[in-house]
Amino acid sequence: MSAQAFPPQFKRETHTVNGLKTTVLTAGRGEPLVFFHGAGLWHGINFALPWTEKFRVILPIHPGFDEADDDPAMNEMHDYVMHYLDLFDALGLEQVNLVGFSLGGLMAANFAVQAGHRVKRLVLVGPAGLRGKERPKGDLFLLPPEEIPSLLVSNFDVIKPYLPDNPKDLDFMGARYREVGTLARLWWEHPYDTKLPRYLHRLTMPTLLVWGEDDRLLSVQNAELWRAHIPKVEFQTFKGAGHLVLDEKREAVDAVQRFLS
Amino acid sequence: MSGALRFDFMHFMPYVHLPENHKEFHSTWVDFPNKFYDPEKGHALYNRYIVELLLAEKVGFDAVVVNEHHNTAYSMMAAPNLIAAAIIPQTKNVKICVWGTPPNLEYPNRLAEEYAMLDVMSQGRLEVAFPLGTGMEYWANPISPATARARYRESIDIILQAWTADGPTTYYGDFYTYRYLNPWPRPYQKPHPPCYIVGTGSPETVELAAKHGFGYSAVFVSKTRALELNQQLRKSSAEHGHPVRPEQLPLQVITYVAETKEKAEAEAVEHIRYFFEDALRTTPNFLAPPGYLSVAELKKRAALADKLHGGFSFDNVNESFFLAIGTADQVVDQLEEWGGAMGTNHFNLLCAIGNMPHWKVVKNLSLIGQDVIPRMRANAAVERRVAAE
Repeated sequence: MSAQAFPPQFKRETHTVNGLKTTVLTAGRGEPLVFFHGAGLWHGINFALPWTEKFRVILPIHPGFDEADDDPAMNEMHDYVMHYLDLFDALGLEQVNLVGFSLGGLMAANFAVQAGHRVKRLVLVGPAGLRGKERPKGDLFLLPPEEIPSLLVSNFDVIKPYLPDNPKDLDFMGARYREVGTLARLWWEHPYDTKLPRYLHRLTMPTLLVWGEDDRLLSVQNAELWRAHIPKVEFQTFKGAGHLVLDEKREAVDAVQRFLS
Repeated sequence: MSGALRFDFMHFMPYVHLPENHKEFHSTWVDFPNKFYDPEKGHALYNRYIVELLLAEKVGFDAVVVNEHHNTAYSMMAAPNLIAAAIIPQTKNVKICVWGTPPNLEYPNRLAEEYAMLDVMSQGRLEVAFPLGTGMEYWANPISPATARARYRESIDIILQAWTADGPTTYYGDFYTYRYLNPWPRPYQKPHPPCYIVGTGSPETVELAAKHGFGYSAVFVSKTRALELNQQLRKSSAEHGHPVRPEQLPLQVITYVAETKEKAEAEAVEHIRYFFEDALRTTPNFLAPPGYLSVAELKKRAALADKLHGGFSFDNVNESFFLAIGTADQVVDQLEEWGGAMGTNHFNLLCAIGNMPHWKVVKNLSLIGQDVIPRMRANAAVERRVAAE
């Protein structure tokens, strides 16, 4: 592992929310841009640096992931929505630009459905969680952990610096195991949010949907499930990018920035 | 050792007709294609295995043991209560041990009912164990491994309440709601059949056994670890006000007896190899589904997993686990030594291991019944007399 997952420009703060200790990384000035990360942070947040030129980028770590505390009682998406309502209050964030990726995309959509007035503009990047008619795809649990990283990207070199040299590195394995355990509380028995489509009409704020055209974890066809239910949504895809489209394509990062500006 | 010795015969009822290319599959569990299951061969195996279980009573065993696994050639007992029900009317005295159905994989009231039925049908010969279930069972069933331990604790509470409290009662839990918990029938034994927890040594399950005053049997852990776990249970149970009795600590031993040690090894080792290398072959991911283990426990087991599941060396296995392979005298000495060290008088013998053919199982059970069990009982009687004097 050679690359630094969290660049030094980001200031690290600890916040205790409803008894739960969590870390918030912050950089830049301007309107707040909150980023909800996906089910793993090991590939870092270097992609977010360009946003810090125009925004105050706030990256909270979800309970049960990376260095945040865990609470076994948090076992449904609603718990995360409530957690972020508390955290936004604690940070004095009245209204934010909200960007969510993968698991974080589903979380952001749920948050915006329930607290639309807190979200000025919404960006969903390869959001997980809707069920299509076809055979379920993108069931992370079906993949052996060692096979997941290569499925996340079109160009493996992008994430290689963040992976341990030894694929059986016990600390890395343990950290990932903790995260899929958190995810299993949310998704094992019900891997899809079957209620959310009923309420996606509430996403009346300007909304952008971003997808990597070569996403092998959650294929770009999944975008149609979201487009069918969000009243007005811009949609952009990026060639030569997998699930980690923001890590792989600077154009995608810039597109998000343009949409939010 | 004190009290009467107890000898169990445990059967896994494996499906042994694996296809020739089975080693190309990473696991004989979870996703091993069930097209390889031939029901005609399965029928013959069920009949054969039931005959073997019945033979155990005839040759002098005290109990027969069955258990539950899913999606695997390792075991054809997806529903061990069915096997228990088939055996009960064909036996008179042996204990029927269902060790057991993971409570998470059944509605707890239904499991309480089924066990009560077996207990009444057998006139109080039932003993049960509550396993959490291997990681593999959670890939095969719709229950989350991440909440498995909490659900498991609740299920056991419900079963005990169903058995011991006069119904109807209510239960309002995190996982289950019972407005009328009032199962008919109730168990024959009072307050309920003897209960055990079988496990691979998670601290949480040992503590649970101590809390409820259950027995505990460690399976697929090293000898050293088994000893530690027995000591831990003894300490913990005493703290909960349930001093452990020796019979509550079944010691699982792969046992094979023949005329000479060389012959015993020659006859048994290939089947022990099959058991570890093929029947137990699975993947680390199947063994530890998300949230099933604590992170610390996962790291500990990650290193050990390869050793147990696939990759066989008889010397390693013999060194690590309880294997008594030899003449009757040697097996007697071995079991007595381990019984003493582990503080138990309860031996759960795996006498039909892996793909062992019927004749070897019959020979093994017969020799154990003829030469091992009587000698050990006689030795124990002498020991008791000496102690009394």
